[in-house]
Amino acid sequence: VSDLGAGRASTGLAVAALLTTAAVNWHHLAWWCLPLLVLASAWHARAAMRGHAQPGRAARIGLAGIITCGVLLSYRTLNGLSAGATLLAAMTAVKLFEARSLRDWRVINGATLFLLLAACLDRQQIWRLPIYALCLWLSAASLRGLAGGAPLPATTLLRESARQLLYAVPLALVLFLFFPRLPGAFWALPVEGDAITGLSDEMAPGEIARLVESDEPALRVRFAGALPPARERYWRGPVLHDFDGATWRRHRSAAASSTALEPRGPAYHYTTTIEANTHSTVIALEMTGPPAPAGVTYTDDFQLLLRRPQIQAQSYELTAYPLALRQTLLTTAERDIDLALPPNRNPRTRELATRLRAANSDDAAYVGAVLNFFKQGGFEYTLTPQRLGHNAIDDLLFSTRQGFCGHYASAFVNLMRAGGVPARVVTGYQGGEWNPIGHYLMVRQSDAHAWAEVWLPARGWLRADPTAVVAPQRLSRESLALEDDIGGAGERLRGGARWVAAVLQTWDAVNFWWQDTVVGFNASRQLKLADWLGFGDRDWQTLAVALGAGMAGWLLWIAWSLRRLARASPPDALARAWRRVDRRLARSGQPRAAHEGVLAYCERLALTDAALATVVLPLARQYARLRFGPPAEAGELRAFVRAARRFTRSSSS
Amino acid sequence: VFAALRLRIIERVGRWARKRQGDEVAPLVLRARRLYILPTRAGYAAALLLLVMLIAGLNYTNSLALLLTFVLAGFVLVGMHECQRTLQGLELLRAQPEDCFAGRDGVLEMRFANGARHARRALTVRAAPERATSFDIAAGAQLSVSLTHRCASRGRHRVGRLELASTAPFGLFRCWTWLHLSLEVIVYPHPVGSRPLPQTSAGRATILASHISSGEDEWASLRAYQQGDSPRSIAWKTVARGGPFMVGQYAGAVGHDYQLSFAGLESLDLEGRLSQLCVWVEDCARIGAACALSLPGVAIPLGRGTAHRQALLRALALYGSTAA
Repeated sequence: VSDLGAGRASTGLAVAALLTTAAVNWHHLAWWCLPLLVLASAWHARAAMRGHAQPGRAARIGLAGIITCGVLLSYRTLNGLSAGATLLAAMTAVKLFEARSLRDWRVINGATLFLLLAACLDRQQIWRLPIYALCLWLSAASLRGLAGGAPLPATTLLRESARQLLYAVPLALVLFLFFPRLPGAFWALPVEGDAITGLSDEMAPGEIARLVESDEPALRVRFAGALPPARERYWRGPVLHDFDGATWRRHRSAAASSTALEPRGPAYHYTTTIEANTHSTVIALEMTGPPAPAGVTYTDDFQLLLRRPQIQAQSYELTAYPLALRQTLLTTAERDIDLALPPNRNPRTRELATRLRAANSDDAAYVGAVLNFFKQGGFEYTLTPQRLGHNAIDDLLFSTRQGFCGHYASAFVNLMRAGGVPARVVTGYQGGEWNPIGHYLMVRQSDAHAWAEVWLPARGWLRADPTAVVAPQRLSRESLALEDDIGGAGERLRGGARWVAAVLQTWDAVNFWWQDTVVGFNASRQLKLADWLGFGDRDWQTLAVALGAGMAGWLLWIAWSLRRLARASPPDALARAWRRVDRRLARSGQPRAAHEGVLAYCERLALTDAALATVVLPLARQYARLRFGPPAEAGELRAFVRAARRFTRSSSS
Repeated sequence: VFAALRLRIIERVGRWARKRQGDEVAPLVLRARRLYILPTRAGYAAALLLLVMLIAGLNYTNSLALLLTFVLAGFVLVGMHECQRTLQGLELLRAQPEDCFAGRDGVLEMRFANGARHARRALTVRAAPERATSFDIAAGAQLSVSLTHRCASRGRHRVGRLELASTAPFGLFRCWTWLHLSLEVIVYPHPVGSRPLPQTSAGRATILASHISSGEDEWASLRAYQQGDSPRSIAWKTVARGGPFMVGQYAGAVGHDYQLSFAGLESLDLEGRLSQLCVWVEDCARIGAACALSLPGVAIPLGRGTAHRQALLRALALYGSTAA
């Protein structure tokens, strides 16, 4: 009965919220989804204006069927964030065709909020925050128009919903800080690999060149204490053992024995925050030692493997020992894996290896000789090398002599293995740019690198970087950046002004703060917070107490501030003045009745007391004129107040 | 089974509230003590949505999703307070039911005052589930609201419990209060009867003659037909022209007096007689004739005018009841 339908302002706001929310999701919606929504909105607007009929039930069901097929065609599944978001957005578009009742519009707003959740799950950059807030505001304003009362204008809806949302913020903060978080996921979202740039589980020629063009952050590292020297800044990612002649792949990930790494030299304590990736590896400074953080396995080839792909930025606290001694003993099985070469390929490479090996019986000397070959061989470092044929390594070493880190690492490991020295390819990042504002080292996708590791008896695994020999300037870039704090970013801009670099670095520092403090707030941070609040080891109890106290405080605050708003407006000067007159008259024995107006009351008094009437009646008439008449000048009000005061004083004395 | 259980719970709670609040008299101000609030169906759906969002945020340890969920939760809770605030402090100045005819809708006039600095929206007052009036009151304003209620049978009745509710600000919560105002409404007999007015002291023939001769042209005004109106007073010319059913009203007093009683109505049962008398009283009022009523134990002298009509109809309404 109370259903007056949704007001036009409310439905307009709902459509605006839906379109904005769909727009912030555009990167993972199917291409046809946004046009469909725009079309449905336009159709709805036309229908609202002209009032033409809504499509029939059969048409709507048919449309829903077509959309489901469309999602299946676009994604091959209905599962997953992108497919789910597309399905939801498209179905909401269909709902727009039949939206009529308050309930329909509530459903549309619910879908909008769910789409907003999908956007939050997918992307968390700080610059998106105002857009997300806008979506929320529009939807909240629309919801406020769905109470069932008379339609309200959009300005009222927006103003009141903004106030309501602002009231909600303190509670949201309390819940955010103290609502118990889960340490891990119950179930994981299927990862959509092509949406994420970064290293992957395998390396084919050209792979890293693609990354080098990307300026996106890969990881940010904050050191507790000194930074390692620039030449030690190798960030270890996936380690690749298996080579089929074209592509390097991972081999296995057995857990490491406790003696695999023997710490030596200086230790660097650091926190690395890694962006979403598909390689399931914590990118760590070489050589990071155990213990591995929760949810991570420390493997015998010194990788930190995640049990699940990482779908959002995550922080890890680690310690690295760049001079550590690693795995001085190698089993035969391990040795065989890192000596394997694809059969019947690269004969000239094998021939070269045999020749160099014959001249250098010592493993270390052989490594030196091969590195020297790279140094002297006239190789060129380029991101756009010529295509390589079936015998890719032969082509690289003896004909094109062009390539980048991936090519050289691959060729170097081939030569090592052909010469009987166990070797493997390590992918990761090299270098990093110091951010003086946020005090952290920023490693970008463009810092992606590949190098080699060789195993020497008694010395264990050692890093060997043929690219450093071929193109020393490729690695010296970072040391330049170190000399001049903001030179790194300046160089990136190719001669841009220093202030531009400073702005960029400040922006990145803000991003990192956001990523680190807000997005990265998780169960362990929460326990630290509880610790800091100071209830010692009873962490969860502290959280519960803080949560309860915060919520109770908020509820009291809300009740109090709403009550303050609800209170009747305070009496103005006119009312205060008359109240005094009223009180004075009441003392004379005839108080004003609840139903009596001021004039009627004074006229009644005048019937019994003519003397009083001469004073009170003009006063009452003046009051009535000031209260109900046309706006009076301030002087008149003052005159009335004075007259009223005179009356109360004179008759009370 | 669920619906029956729900009804029983509502009934039980209603009785408890009745005992708790006692009888009430307007003017009254709605205090927090007597306000009840529950989520609506949409509110439960919203809670489910929030729960799903919370689980998603927790599972993926996604801070932004959790922040969104928590802001929304706060938004809903603020709305809950606002919903209660919509009723709290609202003043009912007056509630006055008008007399009504059995079988027709009675009107209950209520006047509310909003002394607060905020508007009160999406208010609904209802006497029965299907009879509701919705209204909004601006900040600092007063508003009269008329609520229709069903007048089932003749006599003196009490208007049952009234429910004043609001779903502001966004329909996820419904705050309500029950008003036990002990309002009395006099229900006149069902005005049905097709017999002509009885002969008057001045002679029936004259009246009829004047009716016939003057016809429809003498009517001063027309009003919409209501059930029970005499077919003779219908403006058939208007109907013939394709217009709506209208009833003619005479301008002045015709100047005949009618003695209304059970005489001549012996073939009808008691309610039938009272109904016929009721129609006659209305006819007299319409043509402006004076009439008197005599029933066993009741005698009202000749008179005319609104007050007289009301006295006659009330006598008919209360005939036979102990209060009469």
